[in-house]
Amino acid sequence: MDQYLPLLLIFALGLVFAVGSFAASRMLGPRPRLNPAKLGPFESGIAPRREPPARFPVRFYLVAMIFIIFDIEIVFLYPLAVMFNQLGLFGLVEMASFALVVFVAFAYLVSEGALDWGPGKRAGSRSGAPVTRSVSATVRRVSRPGAPTPQASPWAARGGEAAAAAGGPAASPASAAPKARVVG
Amino acid sequence: MTSALAALYPGDPLFAKGADLWVWVILLVKLVVVFAILMVSVLFVIMYERKVVARLGNRWGPNRAGPNGWLQSLADGLKLFFKEALVPAQADKVVYRLAPVVAMVPVFVTFAIVPVGGTLTIGGYTTRLQLADPPWGILVMLMASSISVYGVLLAGWASGSKYPLIGSVRASAQMVSYEAALGLSVATVVLLTGSLHTSAIVAAQHGGFLYHWNILRGFGAPFAIFSIAITAEMTRPPFDLVEAEEELAGGFNMEYSSVAFALFYLAEYAALVTNSAIIATLFLGGPDGPRIAGHSVGPVWFTLKVLILLYVFVWARATLPRLRYDQLMDLGWKRLIPGALALLLVVAGARVSWRYGLAALAGSMIALLLLARAIEVGRAGSGKEQGGMPSELESP
Repeated sequence: MDQYLPLLLIFALGLVFAVGSFAASRMLGPRPRLNPAKLGPFESGIAPRREPPARFPVRFYLVAMIFIIFDIEIVFLYPLAVMFNQLGLFGLVEMASFALVVFVAFAYLVSEGALDWGPGKRAGSRSGAPVTRSVSATVRRVSRPGAPTPQASPWAARGGEAAAAAGGPAASPASAAPKARVVG
Repeated sequence: MTSALAALYPGDPLFAKGADLWVWVILLVKLVVVFAILMVSVLFVIMYERKVVARLGNRWGPNRAGPNGWLQSLADGLKLFFKEALVPAQADKVVYRLAPVVAMVPVFVTFAIVPVGGTLTIGGYTTRLQLADPPWGILVMLMASSISVYGVLLAGWASGSKYPLIGSVRASAQMVSYEAALGLSVATVVLLTGSLHTSAIVAAQHGGFLYHWNILRGFGAPFAIFSIAITAEMTRPPFDLVEAEEELAGGFNMEYSSVAFALFYLAEYAALVTNSAIIATLFLGGPDGPRIAGHSVGPVWFTLKVLILLYVFVWARATLPRLRYDQLMDLGWKRLIPGALALLLVVAGARVSWRYGLAALAGSMIALLLLARAIEVGRAGSGKEQGGMPSELESP
């Protein structure tokens, strides 16, 4: 009892300090002058268009659940650890068999990919696009201002594309320009 | 040895003669002193960190307020009291105010169990320089670190804003992950000591500078695992994905202002001091050190160790780049936790006899190899599951 009391007291002191600082802030600080922009959630100065998400990737929940397994294991290991010198070999066998059971479950989880995060293998293989990146694969070429075709600017080229889609024959060289090879 | 130790250190001798008025006075004075030490050290550590980071980055750091700028954090703290206390419209009002308190209080409770070293005799009353020494000792630390997860999680949830929510969900997954490694490495120390009392853990390391310290037992591995795990637990760099500025604009405490923000800041740095003290207690012998001029100067050694550890934390912040989230989780789950578990078994085996130690080592090696294979299988499987095309369709 005598060793729990100080813990309780410092807990109370911490609470008092926190509540006291809130009270001090209320007394010392200015009255909040509220306006909608101040009260709204932070979004780098623009009004957010969506609510904060209510759903999260399931992996976060999974981690919490797997953690419980380990936490329980740790809880059971502590009494064994404290009494280990008295238990001796029996304690070791207990610990090892318990660890083995948890290990098997853990290895299963890991082999199922339950603890894999991030994009991993997904990148690049979904759309059939070439995995190796090169300049010609990623940069969409438009003809440069000094190029020989009359409609050289990107905007003109886009207009040309629209015209080409409409069936205008005159725009066909310009519509080919985005796919053109590197000039020079 | 260990049961004798447990008998020797049943608690504070202050209460041995019953509790009269002076015992209560001493207890309250100790309480206030511990609280004040932690508060002042927070002010100090904030400046210490800023100075050290600045010098490591070839800057001067803050040098205007007070001598060499050492009063800057005090000025910042006081300033926050005079700021508008704003509660966002979408916030859950009660939980929003509760969260900083939940984040702050457990840290102070943890500091109560740290033995600073030695005893003090005032007018016939002998007391240890340690506020509380409960029978579950070091479990208080684990308990407090579990509760401080709630502070972060509630803060993010109650803010009613996108970035704090993402930050807090990340934080809770991260803290929960590293707590397992933390618990296992502490269990190794408990196994070596045979007691949960922090005073007994320190006493078991007493005698011989560095020679008996837990850092050398288990080949330094429990120390390494604990240090990494506690860094992640505090969401300190390089594990500070919680407040990754580029992505989350500040993290879980972004919607906080005024004194509520100050409490989060206080909690963060109080946790840094407390956990440095815990590392010193568990692995560096606490107040153990050579006597100076015939006097046992435990608190001096203790402070020195804490300062060195704080420097290492700041150094890590200045040097290491932030991890990616998948790297963070891989480090926690696939390296530290199995490693800590294997280590615990090896240490336990070695406590029985060296033959069992070798057997445990061999068994752990086999298990870790199997786990490596499981990780490989998991990686290959999850790649397919996550929407990658089967390989035969990829090649033309």
